[in-house]
Amino acid sequence: MNIIEVKNLKKIYQDEASTTIALADISFSVSQGEFVAIMGPSGSGKSTLLHVLGLLDVSSSGSYYFAGQDITSYSSDELANLRNQKIGFVFQAFNLLARTSVLDNVKLPLVYSKIAEADWDNKARRAIEAVGLISRLQHQPSELSGGEKQRVAIARALINNPDIIFADEPTGNLDSKSGKKVMSIIQRLNEEEGKTVILITHETSTAEHAERIIHLLDGKIDSDIKVAKRLSTNDEYVK
Amino acid sequence: MIWKHTLKTSFISLSTNRSRSILTILGIVIGVTAIMLVMSLGAGAQKLILDQVQGLGTNTIAVIPGREPSSPSDTAQIFSDSLKVKDLEALKNKANVPGLKQIMPIVFGAETVSFGANTYQVSVFGATELIAEIFDLQPKVGEFFDKNDVSSRSSSVVLGSKVVDQLFAEDDPLGKKIKIKGRNFKVIAVLPPSGGGTLFNFDEAILMSYTTAQDYLFGIKYFNRLIIEAGEGTDIEAVANDVKLTLREAHNISDPSKDDFFVSTQQDLVKRLSTITTSLTWFLIAMASIALFVGGVGIMNIMLVSVTERTREIGLRKSLGATDRDILTQFLLEAVLLTGVGGLVGVFIGTVLALLISLALSSGLGVMWDFVFPWTGAVLGVGVSALIGLIFGGYPAYKASKKSPIEALRYE
Repeated sequence: MNIIEVKNLKKIYQDEASTTIALADISFSVSQGEFVAIMGPSGSGKSTLLHVLGLLDVSSSGSYYFAGQDITSYSSDELANLRNQKIGFVFQAFNLLARTSVLDNVKLPLVYSKIAEADWDNKARRAIEAVGLISRLQHQPSELSGGEKQRVAIARALINNPDIIFADEPTGNLDSKSGKKVMSIIQRLNEEEGKTVILITHETSTAEHAERIIHLLDGKIDSDIKVAKRLSTNDEYVK
Repeated sequence: MIWKHTLKTSFISLSTNRSRSILTILGIVIGVTAIMLVMSLGAGAQKLILDQVQGLGTNTIAVIPGREPSSPSDTAQIFSDSLKVKDLEALKNKANVPGLKQIMPIVFGAETVSFGANTYQVSVFGATELIAEIFDLQPKVGEFFDKNDVSSRSSSVVLGSKVVDQLFAEDDPLGKKIKIKGRNFKVIAVLPPSGGGTLFNFDEAILMSYTTAQDYLFGIKYFNRLIIEAGEGTDIEAVANDVKLTLREAHNISDPSKDDFFVSTQQDLVKRLSTITTSLTWFLIAMASIALFVGGVGIMNIMLVSVTERTREIGLRKSLGATDRDILTQFLLEAVLLTGVGGLVGVFIGTVLALLISLALSSGLGVMWDFVFPWTGAVLGVGVSALIGLIFGGYPAYKASKKSPIEALRYE
């Protein structure tokens, strides 16, 4: 089953002075459990595509079926609910709340869900354990390294058990060692838990974790190839 | 659950910018402090005035000749000689006014009094022996005139404290003869100074039997006032009504609008005074509310800054599933929390200030000033503050809630 199916997707930014075509004409689909890396030079439209796919932004034209549902007519509340229930985001800049503990940061999506508060703690602990940060529960983001911050963000993305994870340059602000660790966690989520992953990166080494690499150029798909030999999960970084 | 989280978030955000938060609520604090102060002091003043009026006893009814003044400039006292001895007798009749306990006629006028070379302008009050009881007067020295003095038109007089000071200086006034209109009067008692705090001030007055005053000083056959005391537990309005009916019958009046007298109860007076002090208090509250309004504008300003500063946070929350409503609630609650705390602080400061002022008034001026905690002011202060948070926080919160998640996330 296709979790993502887009046809003739266009995104045009218009102001008085100029018209910018961010996405010219994009059609492709992603099946449940796939790991797709989107690459391309800056300005190629990869961030815009991720935002539209992640229901953070709406396209100018074209159709978008998310998990079989046509979401183009959804209200902002319905989209918010879908983001909460089905989607996990990992951002380049981590986007953790300052002066808020690791535990509370990870709980944040639960605040906007219908899950009973009594279950929040257990869920958050399990998610934090999955990224190996159980000893940091009460730490503040300012007390964590970059790699640790990104792992907290991954735990936050996982807490509502989403079908798909969107990662926007997740290793962009990390050193290579932390970056590898973060990528191996993301790959494990894909391989062991069947999460669909859509990843934006400009680093080939990061893209090598994916099964499929889509290259964008000037708002169009330049190439869409299956990776012949994928990197294997490096377990030593996870535990 | 969202409330608990939102409260926690608001608290973190407000305590992060602690000095900014404090400065922001200053306007609210000042406004609520002013309201508390005005209400507390207003209630204190009202209590002071009413206590003194009620000191006369709420059972007292005054009958005044002439028609009731329709406006402050309406001073025409026509029929000012309408209350006569036959009215007094008619009112004393139990069949006419069953609730009447006792009645006292009063006449008054301004006269010049002299002792030796000293002269002084005074008010002369003519009444019966009941005056001591009704106005709660205790002579400093000597004894009040009695029934016999009234029936015999005796020349015994009681002097107010200032009159004594002006006429006698160091001398003992008791038993001395003073002169009014060429007639000699004998001083039989002296009143202590009233202290200025009481409603009826006899300091510059001379009291005597009304018969003496009518015949020897004023040359009149009527009364300026009839003071009636109703029996304990009687319905004061019913007694006042009986008085009206009796007088109308005695004066052959069938149309109440043609009354040549009017009846004023202590309760009327209390009501009238309360109306004045209450409207004065509300006027001052309206003034203080301007501070609250200005405070509200400050809140709006800071909330707008806060919304801009936290654009990324708003974007993140939306990406994690927060709806517009969730964001709106969060920022509204933050504004209400700010103003609510401001209101509480204002109530506290206002109470302390009002307490200090009432202590200063009662010890410094020797006035019996009671501290009154204005519950209405406290509830109103905190409630209005919270409402101001809701109103002035509304626009910034709405702005926050309408931010597109992606623009908010991209914001640098």
